[in-house]
Parts: sequence; C-alpha cells; structure tokens
Amino acid sequence: MKKYKSIELLEQLQSDTRQLILTANYLQTIDPGVLLQEPAPGKWSVIQVLEHLNSYGRYYLLSIERSLENDKPAVEVFMPGWLGNYFTKLMKPGEDGAIINKTKSPKDHRPSKYLDVFPVLTTFLEQQHYLLELLEQAKSKNISGIRTPISISRLIRLKLGDTFRFLVAHEQRHFVQIDNTLAMVKGTINIFPANHLVMQQ
Amino acid sequence: MDTSSLQQFINLVHPLKEEEMTKFLAIWQPFECKRKTILTAAGETEKYLYFVLEGVQRAFYIGHEKQEATIVFTYAPSFSGVADSLLTQTPSKYFLETLTSSRFLRASYRQLDQLMNEYPAVQRMVLRLTSFALKGVLERQIELQCFSAEEKFKTLLKRSPHVLQIIPHKYLASYLGIDATTFSKLLGSVRL
Repeated sequence: MKKYKSIELLEQLQSDTRQLILTANYLQTIDPGVLLQEPAPGKWSVIQVLEHLNSYGRYYLLSIERSLENDKPAVEVFMPGWLGNYFTKLMKPGEDGAIINKTKSPKDHRPSKYLDVFPVLTTFLEQQHYLLELLEQAKSKNISGIRTPISISRLIRLKLGDTFRFLVAHEQRHFVQIDNTLAMVKGTINIFPANHLVMQQ
Repeated sequence: MDTSSLQQFINLVHPLKEEEMTKFLAIWQPFECKRKTILTAAGETEKYLYFVLEGVQRAFYIGHEKQEATIVFTYAPSFSGVADSLLTQTPSKYFLETLTSSRFLRASYRQLDQLMNEYPAVQRMVLRLTSFALKGVLERQIELQCFSAEEKFKTLLKRSPHVLQIIPHKYLASYLGIDATTFSKLLGSVRL
C-alpha cells in the first residue's frame, strides 16, 4: 500500500479542498433556477448534491473536531489502513473524472427536494473552510494513531488520515456528478475542465 | 537549503546587516507544487509569504456576475502569496494558483511577524517592499481606468516583454481587462 509523508498528504488534501471551493465559487455565479433543476425525474439537482455533501460534513467535521482533542504527537509517515484505503478508492473518481462503482446513498443522507440555493451554497463553503482549518490543525497530530468512527457504524473506526482522504474523495466524486448534472440541465458540454476535479495524489 | 537568490533579492531592495540577514533567512522552508495548484482560496487568510524560485503564479477574482479577473502574476525572483490578506490577516477576496509547476521558499506569517517586531530593519525592509508593491498597484489602476486596449497592451510589453513567453495569452488578456480576440489582434498588429 502507498505510504505518504503526513504533511504532504494533508497539504494535498488542502489543495484538493481549495479546488472544490473554487468550483463552488463558480457555482455561485450560475442562475439559481439552473442549480435547482433536476436533470431527469428523480435525479438530484446540483443543490441537492451539495446538501447531500453538507449532511456528511455535519457528521464528519464534528467527529474530526472531537478527535483532534487527542494530543498524540505527529507521525512523519502515514500508512493508510486497509479499510480506509478501500473506502477512499471506492469513492475517488478516475483520472479522467469517470465514476465507477455507482452506489446508492444511505437514507439519512438523501436530500429534500425543497431547498434554498443560497444557504446550501453558503453552508458548503463554510464547511470547506472549516475542513481546511481542521487539516491544518491535523499537521501537528497523529493522523495514524487517532481514529474516528464512520457515519454508518460507530463500531468501525478509520485512521484520521483515512477519514480525511475518504471525506475529500467523496466530495470529489459528487463534484463530477455536479458537472454532469449541469451539462444535462443546460444541454451543453461539461463546463469545468477535468483537472478541476481530479485528485492529484 | 539554498537561500542565495532570496538573499540577493533582499540586498537589491533593502540590505540587512549580517545578524538580521541570518535571522531572516532562517525562517524559510522549501515548498514545491504541481501546476494548477491553488495555494490560497478566496475566504482563507494567507498564512505564508512565498519567494518564487521557479514557475509562474496567478491571482484571480471570481465575481458573482462577471467572469473571473486576473489580478496579478508572480514569477522568479519575487515574492508571492496574497499580500493584502497576509499583511492584514483578514480573509482573501481572491484565489492564488500556480500556472506551472513551481518551487518556492516560504515563511509563515507568525515567524515573519515575530521577526519584524524584533528587528526594526526587517520591518523597514517589508515596508519598502510593500511600498513598491503599492506603487505598482496604483499605477496599474491608472492604466486600467484611463488607457485604451492598445496602450495597456504596449505598456505591459514594454515593462515585461518576457511574459508573452511564459504566461498563456488568455490570462494576459484577462489581466489587461480586454478580451482574448482583441489581445491576439493587437499581438499581430502593434509594433513595439
């Protein structure tokens, strides 16, 4: 399994998060009607996708925040756990932005149809800025020794470094979906270049 | 770590005595990243002052109505980072990204600030750098408000002819606030 220098991994994840912030800033310039439009009956609008991510953020950011109270000193090298690596790989889009292994989201993370554009986008951006801050704090923590429970079962705990990797990969996956949704709604080709979304690790 | 190009640069702007220079050079760490890496996002407060060793960077703003505007480019040897956010420690209104793979030295705001408090000469040097940056910004303000597309184009190429080789033309057009087709027309017709 691929090893990472802890600092380099955290900085890469920060840079991936900034890329999502950039794309969200572009989304703010798009007509709200477009962002609320379902690409096909029963398929999520852009805003629903973002609300789905916000619901994960509400769980994971809090859980990570708590785990950072642990004062174990930083480790230079991070070795992903087996399960953490599996979940991250499952989520992460391919280099060309392709999504393999389509899955269905768990019930409690399915967004309502009735959403306001502005608060959803604002919450998303606030969460990403908080994620950047947590990644910064994690630079002085043991991202291998600290473990955080995953959202579907509190019994399964991932290494903190893997929780960050999984969380960002999950967002990147859904940003590919956002790009495809916009293309369908506007009847045009995808507007964001693939390198907006691809994880560089 | 090689800080000689930084030292050379400082000596040109505002020479420091030996002790001050040693202390100043000690706060820098090497940092590299690939092309199209965002160093600072809008909404973040700048944590680092960068000194560019290699590569080109671009700061750009995304408006709610209009498309993005290019604010500034940085390349070696010069400082980079979101200067206003760094110095005021308030959130940046714009993004800073690398256009090519880049190598830097970087220093944290905390360490720089500590050094400025301890050594007045370091503070004066930073003031001098900031003053020239401010002069540049205000001159550019005049160009943006009063110059025609052709005048802006000529002024840019007189001041920094090499940017044509190192920066994609669509970003240079965005920097001048003219559209890309006007830019390529000027490139074909204007004699410098």
